Amino acid sequence: MFLITELIALLAANLILMQALGTSTLFIAAGSSRNLIGTASVITVFTTAGSAAAYLINRFTGQKYSDFLLLFYVLAVGILYIILLAVFYLAGKNKFEQSRKYIHISAYNCAVMGTIFTISDKAGLSAENFSLLDYVTCGFEAGIGFILAAFILTAAYRKLNSSKVPSSFRGFPAMLVYLGIISMAVYSLK
Amino acid sequence: MNKPKNTLTSGFLGDNTVLSGLMVISPVIMCGDTLKNALALVYAFSLITFFSVMISSFVPKRLPYAVKIIIYAVISALIYIPVKLLAQEIYPEAIGRTGIYFPLLAVNSLIVHQTEAKFFRMRKLEMTGSLVFYILGFDAVMLLTGVIRELFAYGTVYNRMVDMNTLISGIAQPFGGFIFLGLLCGIYRKIRSMAAANENAEKEAENVSDN
Repeated sequence: MFLITELIALLAANLILMQALGTSTLFIAAGSSRNLIGTASVITVFTTAGSAAAYLINRFTGQKYSDFLLLFYVLAVGILYIILLAVFYLAGKNKFEQSRKYIHISAYNCAVMGTIFTISDKAGLSAENFSLLDYVTCGFEAGIGFILAAFILTAAYRKLNSSKVPSSFRGFPAMLVYLGIISMAVYSLK
Repeated sequence: MNKPKNTLTSGFLGDNTVLSGLMVISPVIMCGDTLKNALALVYAFSLITFFSVMISSFVPKRLPYAVKIIIYAVISALIYIPVKLLAQEIYPEAIGRTGIYFPLLAVNSLIVHQTEAKFFRMRKLEMTGSLVFYILGFDAVMLLTGVIRELFAYGTVYNRMVDMNTLISGIAQPFGGFIFLGLLCGIYRKIRSMAAANENAEKEAENVSDN
């Protein structure tokens, strides 16, 4: 029962199905399972670490610098971007070559920046104080939500790209309609 | 002969930012439910994208890719500040309604990724023209989506009542946005393939008459 409740919560707060964040990246990644796992994993790293950075930024800047928030977030994600590239570079040339395209795609992705803004808004509206752990948990859940949506799309990817679908609707248009129907189902769970 | 013309204007129809490239689709899906929202987003997207890409074009090409991407994003985030301040005067309600999607326009893929892949491979003048058409392509889709979704969801256009017998409230929701954009994308592709078929038929006819 706990698992079902958690799954519903993950779907109801899903950044793709409920907020349409990172949809285009998902469409590109859904083409192959390797790309999907790579992109989804890197996005999860960025949403989790980015949320931790957002906690520090929100704590030290406050409402006074709210107009500069985007700039601060962009700088924080930029630092994470460089750190992640450096980590893979130090881990070995092969690993770096394999993973850098996922890092490039994910760094300034709507899913990452959108998650950071969503969590900050949530923390701002919440009566309770959001701790660092709350930020990190929300960021991690957002990443898991992306993976979940990615698997939902992958399940139908081949059929939505098959010759049975009219050529004008094959691929992206059919995937958008499919995501719309899944989103409608999830909307009813809210 | 027609190739340069196609390249310059292709961002508007042939290679539309939203319908063909599937870029910047989240604001269209989430906030494109009224014309007022659409206008606020069109204003922000046009100004931020144009000035960001133009200023970013002066960033040295020799820098590593990741560094350049960060610089583009920082330039865009800096341009976002005056654009937001101005928007608070022009579209005070829309800023609140569009929420997180307003700042997200500043890190759209047209600025962050397409600059390197597309725009900076062109000459300055060609790049400026092409960029304007890519921006206009987004603006057209955003406005069209805003008008149609507002009309069917609320029976209004720019908050003015229109005589509509049937309302589909779900079209204003995120799922409605997904489905509407999917259908629009399919119709766009159909029109594009019909236009390409006509063009081919005309060319074949010309070839036959030449022979």
